[in-house]
Amino acid sequence: MAQIEKRGGLLRKSSASKKPLKEKVVLMYDEIFMTEDPSKCSPRFWEELFLMKVNLEYLEGKLESLDSEELMKIKDNVNCLFQHCIQALGEEHPIRVVNALQTLCALIRGVHQKNKSTSGFDIINMLMGFDKAELCMKNLMESLDSLLCAEGSESLKSLCLKLLLCLVTVTDNISQNTILEYVMINSIFEAILQILSHPPSRREHGYDAVVLLALLVNYSKYESVNPYIVKLSIVDDEATLNGMGLVIAQALSEYNRQYKDKEEEHQSGFFSALTNMVGSMFIADAHEKISVQTNEAILLALYEAVHLNRNFITVLAQSHPEMGLVTTPVSPSPTTPVTPLGTTPPSSDDEHRLHSGKLCLIILTCIAEDQYANAFLHDDNMNFRVNLHRMPMRHRKKAADKNLPCRPLVCAVLDLMVEFIVTHMMKEFPMDLYIRCIQVVHKLLCYQKKCRVRLHYTWRELWSALINLLKFLMSNETILLAKHNIFTLTLMIVNLFNMFITYGDTFLPTPSSYDELYYEIIRMHQSFDNLYSMVLRLSTNAGQWKEAASKVTHALVNIRAIINHFNPKIESYAAVNHISQLSEEQVLEVVRANYDTLTLKLQDGLDQYERYSEQHKEAAFFKELVRSISTNVRRNLAFHTLSQEVLLKEFSTIS
Amino acid sequence: MGDMVVEPAPLKPTSEPAPSPPGNNGGSLLSVITEGAGELPVIDPEVAQKACQEVLEKVKLLHGGVTISSRSTQLELVNGDNVDSEIRCLDDPPAQIREEEDEMGATVASGTAKGARRRRQNNSAKQSWLLRLFESKLFDISMAISYLYNSKEPGVQAYIGNRLFCFRNEDVDFYLPQLLNMYIHMDEDVGDAIKPYIVHRCRQSINFSLQCALLLGAYSSDMHISTQRHSRGTKLRKLILSDELKPAHRKRELPSLSPASDTGLSPSKRTHQRSKSDATASISLSSNLKRTASNPKVENEDEELSSSTESIDNSFSSPVRLAPEREFIKSLMAIGKRLATLPTKEQKTQRLISELSLLNHKLPARVWLPTAGFDHHVVRVPHTQAVVLNSKDKAPYLIYVEVLECENFDTTSVPARIPENRIRSTRSVENLPECGITHEQRAGSFSTVPNYDNDDEAWSVDDIGELQVELPEVHTNSCDNISQFSVDSITSQESKEPVFIAAGDIRRRLSEQLAHTPTAFRRDPEDPSAVALKEPWQEKVRRIREASPYGHLPNWRLLSVIVKCGDDLRQELLAFQVLKQLQSIWEQERVPLWIKPYKILVISADSGMIEPVVNAVSIHQVKKQSQLSLLDYFLQEHGSYTTEAFLSAQRNFVQSCAGYCLVCYLLQVKDRHNGNILLDAEGHIIHIDFGFILSSSPRNLGFETSAFKLTTEFVDVMGGLDGDMFNYYKMLMLQGLIAARKHMDKVVQIVEIMQQGSQLPCFHGSSTIRNLKERFHMSMTEEQLQLLVEQMVDGSMRSITTKLYDGFQYLTNGIM
Repeated sequence: MAQIEKRGGLLRKSSASKKPLKEKVVLMYDEIFMTEDPSKCSPRFWEELFLMKVNLEYLEGKLESLDSEELMKIKDNVNCLFQHCIQALGEEHPIRVVNALQTLCALIRGVHQKNKSTSGFDIINMLMGFDKAELCMKNLMESLDSLLCAEGSESLKSLCLKLLLCLVTVTDNISQNTILEYVMINSIFEAILQILSHPPSRREHGYDAVVLLALLVNYSKYESVNPYIVKLSIVDDEATLNGMGLVIAQALSEYNRQYKDKEEEHQSGFFSALTNMVGSMFIADAHEKISVQTNEAILLALYEAVHLNRNFITVLAQSHPEMGLVTTPVSPSPTTPVTPLGTTPPSSDDEHRLHSGKLCLIILTCIAEDQYANAFLHDDNMNFRVNLHRMPMRHRKKAADKNLPCRPLVCAVLDLMVEFIVTHMMKEFPMDLYIRCIQVVHKLLCYQKKCRVRLHYTWRELWSALINLLKFLMSNETILLAKHNIFTLTLMIVNLFNMFITYGDTFLPTPSSYDELYYEIIRMHQSFDNLYSMVLRLSTNAGQWKEAASKVTHALVNIRAIINHFNPKIESYAAVNHISQLSEEQVLEVVRANYDTLTLKLQDGLDQYERYSEQHKEAAFFKELVRSISTNVRRNLAFHTLSQEVLLKEFSTIS
Repeated sequence: MGDMVVEPAPLKPTSEPAPSPPGNNGGSLLSVITEGAGELPVIDPEVAQKACQEVLEKVKLLHGGVTISSRSTQLELVNGDNVDSEIRCLDDPPAQIREEEDEMGATVASGTAKGARRRRQNNSAKQSWLLRLFESKLFDISMAISYLYNSKEPGVQAYIGNRLFCFRNEDVDFYLPQLLNMYIHMDEDVGDAIKPYIVHRCRQSINFSLQCALLLGAYSSDMHISTQRHSRGTKLRKLILSDELKPAHRKRELPSLSPASDTGLSPSKRTHQRSKSDATASISLSSNLKRTASNPKVENEDEELSSSTESIDNSFSSPVRLAPEREFIKSLMAIGKRLATLPTKEQKTQRLISELSLLNHKLPARVWLPTAGFDHHVVRVPHTQAVVLNSKDKAPYLIYVEVLECENFDTTSVPARIPENRIRSTRSVENLPECGITHEQRAGSFSTVPNYDNDDEAWSVDDIGELQVELPEVHTNSCDNISQFSVDSITSQESKEPVFIAAGDIRRRLSEQLAHTPTAFRRDPEDPSAVALKEPWQEKVRRIREASPYGHLPNWRLLSVIVKCGDDLRQELLAFQVLKQLQSIWEQERVPLWIKPYKILVISADSGMIEPVVNAVSIHQVKKQSQLSLLDYFLQEHGSYTTEAFLSAQRNFVQSCAGYCLVCYLLQVKDRHNGNILLDAEGHIIHIDFGFILSSSPRNLGFETSAFKLTTEFVDVMGGLDGDMFNYYKMLMLQGLIAARKHMDKVVQIVEIMQQGSQLPCFHGSSTIRNLKERFHMSMTEEQLQLLVEQMVDGSMRSITTKLYDGFQYLTNGIM
């Protein structure tokens, strides 16, 4: 106790050394922590309390120091304090409101920190008392709602949002936070939307509002009906959705900017190891934690918006002039540049890099499945210059990205996928991410085939990246097979080639690109041959991979047909013309001349895919993600940023 | 609204015993008229009325007044709508006249108009020839404008002012710039004569109001700023913008003091201010009250014009009808201004697209495109289709606008907004079965989450639990007509016969499909408009319609417009009028010359809109993209020399070439480089950009001294100098010139009136009109004219200046 008092006293630096002078407010807190009703002896106790500058640390520390039994003893006073806080929210003078908000934060945090193990119901009882809880929370939410919607002080609104964030993140697992039931019943959804739809308030509080919304949506997402999910999914007001998109885009572009700065600093360092694109997470240590996590929260918000709300995609597709101004090199649309795929070797503390990477790929998957988003991505009229952060590798220099062509956004997505494929072949193989990556490419191809979109893209890069990936899988067969079923991925890759081979006429840009496909396959025939012998071996053995491997054997039929058809022709051409090494042009000539004698087999279901579904497959991932976001938001909730000095200045009308 | 001082003067001319027939020289004729009763310097209504009565008496004696009453009946019929009742509610004096006329008509019950005329002819040779002209069938709007301009006689002017009501609206609309320029820059009498008609039409049509307001603003801008503020043009403009000229009957319906009156006028509350996003530099004109409060000056000026009784009504009336439209125009201009600040085409394009997407949020609204020929509401701007046009320092841009046609703009309510994504559900289910979900699947998804709101529209497709690979029947339903294989699906390798395909077929289909697509232009970031303009219009309409949430509506239409910001389009408008006049002259005289006047909307002295010529790209773009000579391009696009398609394209080329050569000669159109000449899909050439006409030429470098642009490439397309088509070309020019000469007055008049009070460079110097007239060579015989045409063609052919100029343009602007 003494120690805490000292801490309270420390706030007054000058006097601290001499004598632990107690602030009046601390004395009043002490009165609350007595069992007696503090208003008994001084009837104006509560009124006075909210005129005092809040001592958060003391209050929180005091609550923390009490064990649950002691806390139960002063339950009545705590309840009373809570109620009076809520009452004070309705007061006219903002200073009281501010103090009440801060006191509430301290109360909620203090009670929770102490009672980590206790159930949510106990906490509700402790704070409000069961009998009054419902009314209490109703009043609280209503006050917050009206404060957020009123044309009042911006810092007051900010404080309201901080309180809400504090409330939402007090538990690690958001779904165990029983108080949120009341937040579900008394929705503040509309207030959040309002903040997002008004440019001035959006600029001030957009970030907090979006994070809060993302978290609220994840409250018992899979267990019960969450009204925020329902509401978010039906929002169709463009101004609001636009605002939300803008907040997300700005947060992400800020992140990109930071990354870029860092990257320039550490140009030669090890830092720029295995990363790509905008969002890799190599930011110096001190800064790292915060920026990584903010990123996750905002990505989650983007995901929820894309996933839940159909209309949001249209907003994504609409770029905003404001954004165009901020970052010219980055596309003004939040879609792609937003997708930080920074995934590093999943060493000990790189969990959330994996998380972010996965989340990004999930977002891209959702986008690639969406009709409207695809139309936008492929729109020939909407060209963007997307600056992908390519990291330097041994065999390639950091490309000077000065002369980036301006292309439809989908080219950037494909580039990104190629980049991912090329840069993540490592021992700790991120199988899950690779599968998602190939799925994204596949979904995009399906769209192009359906809609006859002939994208002018250098498909060759994709093909050689895919073949390299196959090579990697084969050379690390034994290590990888111990952990993963590599045949799912192999089959997907082979089927991508099959898409090109059998449906190339529907989406390839030129006849010569079809020739190039054959050239690439013939050129790399060794890899396919090896793959075939491997899967043949495994499918004839009666091992656990028998079935999976045999599927790949079947899928390889066309590629093998091509190789077997053209290779002899090329050899004889070389023999006839006495050339030892044929040039590309000569090979292409042979290819063109011999199409007609080649028969291919049409494979089934190449252009079909399984739709993304969160509930069944990704629930665990999202629970974990939300948990880590909660922890970080809680840690970063900075009450000191909203120091009372600022508020006092703002409300200096105080007499 | 009783401020209109409409004197009963129209009947004045009848009093004049002016027997001189209308000749070529309007001035001398007028001097004859003025010697009569026209001494009154300013027409005092009472005096005028008295005089009028006297005249009427006389007329009654002379020809039984039938002429007058016949006029009034004419008045009622010509314009279809009930003009005279409108007039009565407009202003009292004419009504009085009418009554008198009616009386007279009643007194003289006998005799038809025809009979009266015959009698009149017999009776006196002394009577007014002028009146006879005015009443003859030959008297058309062109003559009316001419007399209005040339006559110094208030009586004549006032008569014509009233006579305007008898012409068809479209006919008068053509001369609106002339009328308004006269109103602004000529004396009181002309203004007074014109005003009632303008006011009347403004009451009828919101579009007319807008055009008037814009033109009045634009043509007042050359005045000195101090005089401009108090000029009649500015006052009339304010009157129109104050929305006092809304339809009279509606006004009566308005509850004058009802607090809800702000919704009274427009059937829908939706204005351009749909959502207040931060998109545009918007000013809120949403309520009249606000406006008057914030800008009392405007209100004061309005009151000067409006009668005291109505000012009360005014202050409580509904929001200004024109506000949404003006807001819309303002937003478009603001976009143009912002684009101009960006350095590269690419950035401009991106910015344009995003700006327009925000504009979209406010649509549909009670706005329209004034360049369109029918009533409609703008519902959407397909923002991704917009392109920035080639211009060195300004940023003109082309937008496509989706509109819904309606019967009557004022009475039809604004269409409801259909969200952008609404198409997705229909599209994904119908056209793209793979990306959508079937109903069973959707229903199935709800069984897993029964608690959710049953709003399936709202649900994201993804939320439907485990969706396995598409069911076979969904797959076979697929309307995929691209690849025949997608239908031939086999469910497993073992159970069914495998399907084999030839690799050669795939490759062949690929090249065939690419060959079948019409020759599209390559995308060039430095010239984004080339691709957009090359795409056939029908194709574009179909494509945009498919992608639009409004596309399914039967009254959906696509319009396009070029928004110019920072350019003075008044010369363009003048050129449009001249071209239009020439076109109708040639049509009337059956000369098969082809020109394409494109509509111009002057918004202010430095902004406006242009109706783009569809299916046309500039010759510069053609040459740059195709890297072919013009003839080879024709062969590529239309087929070989002997094909029907080529021949008709060639004929079109010749006819349009001849037409534009004449235009260029008559108007002295300069700055003729290949970027300013378009070629349409049928082979016509179309000249655009009339920035340098008549007395102005670019930089006065002395270039382009030849009469018009005729390069060897053009001649090659025509089949060479000795070909039949080239002779046909020269013959067409001769015929065209003869026809134009015949109607020279109609052409000159347009230009002459616009010269009034104008600072436009095309009127620089004092001899503009004289030179223009000289170019018609009234004194030459047809043989001489033929020689002239030969000379001009020869001169242009030999002229190296044309070539030089093209080289100059290539060096300075990169135009091929």
